[in-house]
Amino acid sequence: MDERDLMGIIESILFVSGDPVSARDISQILELDIRKVRKLIKKMIDCFHFERRGLQIIMVNDTYQLATRPEYSQYIEKYIGKKHTQNLTQASLETLAIIAYKQPITKAEIEAIRGVKSDYTINTLISRGFIREVDRMDTPGRPILYGTTEYFLKSFGLSSLDELPPLESK
Amino acid sequence: MSYLVKLEHFEGPLDLLLHLISKAKVQIEDISITEITEQYLETLRLMEQFDIEVASDFLVMAATLLHIKSCLLVPRPKTELPEDQLEETDPRQELIAKLLEYKKFKEAGIKLKKREEYFSRMYYKLPEEKIFMDNQEVLPTNADIEMLQKVFLLLLKNQKNGRESIPIIHKIKRDPITVNEKIGELKKYFSKYTQTTFFQLFTKHTDREGIIITFLALLELLKENFIDVIQHYPFGDIIIKRRA
Repeated sequence: MDERDLMGIIESILFVSGDPVSARDISQILELDIRKVRKLIKKMIDCFHFERRGLQIIMVNDTYQLATRPEYSQYIEKYIGKKHTQNLTQASLETLAIIAYKQPITKAEIEAIRGVKSDYTINTLISRGFIREVDRMDTPGRPILYGTTEYFLKSFGLSSLDELPPLESK
Repeated sequence: MSYLVKLEHFEGPLDLLLHLISKAKVQIEDISITEITEQYLETLRLMEQFDIEVASDFLVMAATLLHIKSCLLVPRPKTELPEDQLEETDPRQELIAKLLEYKKFKEAGIKLKKREEYFSRMYYKLPEEKIFMDNQEVLPTNADIEMLQKVFLLLLKNQKNGRESIPIIHKIKRDPITVNEKIGELKKYFSKYTQTTFFQLFTKHTDREGIIITFLALLELLKENFIDVIQHYPFGDIIIKRRA
């Protein structure tokens, strides 16, 4: 099997899966070294972009998924109608930003930065699946520590937390 | 004539302060506490005029601002420390640090919003149905006749079950005997006998629940001052005596 076959197989697996597939699973199916798999997918990602294909491969924490290209969304929406999405409020966004950059973080620490109570916002973010309780702090009261989810990464087009845009100090 | 005043919505006192600072076109580091405090209080007054409930966080900040302002006004007492060891403490420092920190995340939030808007315009496909057997995924590559047969039998079984009862209902077993019933039983026992031991209360067939329920019943009886218990050493048998 040459590379084209391998890439074809990976593409068809991603299509069938629909959900993200881990590099490990793909390497097991293809009986191929995981590093080789990552390299192949990287090549596919570039190739999909270069050819401006309608589909792209997105990468989140070493898992891969087929998705349509956001640039073409208006045409998709002409066909299937607009996705109903609820916009995130400024309160949600700044809270989410604090959690994303400073995780794991307690509610008290979030509130210290925002200067306002944040229970409601935190609950909204949990119910929308962007954050979750990751641990408890080893201090009196064992406060909950919050962190972001994989869904957060996917929704914001991030492969990993390292890809968060750098915080500007001024 | 009526005015239409648009009062912006602020996430909190820090948000409001940032707004006032940007309106004054000064750097956060160079804020004049006197001016900003005045404007801040003015905004709060406006909010009250419009019947907007001012959250306590805003009031705390107002107090903080006034405190800083007073610190700046009051001449500082002379300290005996030499000049170079005197810490240059600007009472504004803490507030400025907080504002800078908050601003960082507020801006990061705006950046995130743009990303989310862009990436929410992606569409995904639903996964194909996967077939599981004994929690192990069956891929065509490792299927043989035996496996096919198993899958087939499983399908038949599922179908048969499916017709009879679709949802799987977990039954919660009732305790074979309740604590109250056990108490009654024990009282009856003690109407005949005056003494027994904990171990004697069980047969070989008493299960864990039975032991727990008996123990709870004994605790209850002890509380009612119906019995006395004596245990000579830890984990040893417990002598149970009826109270006279």
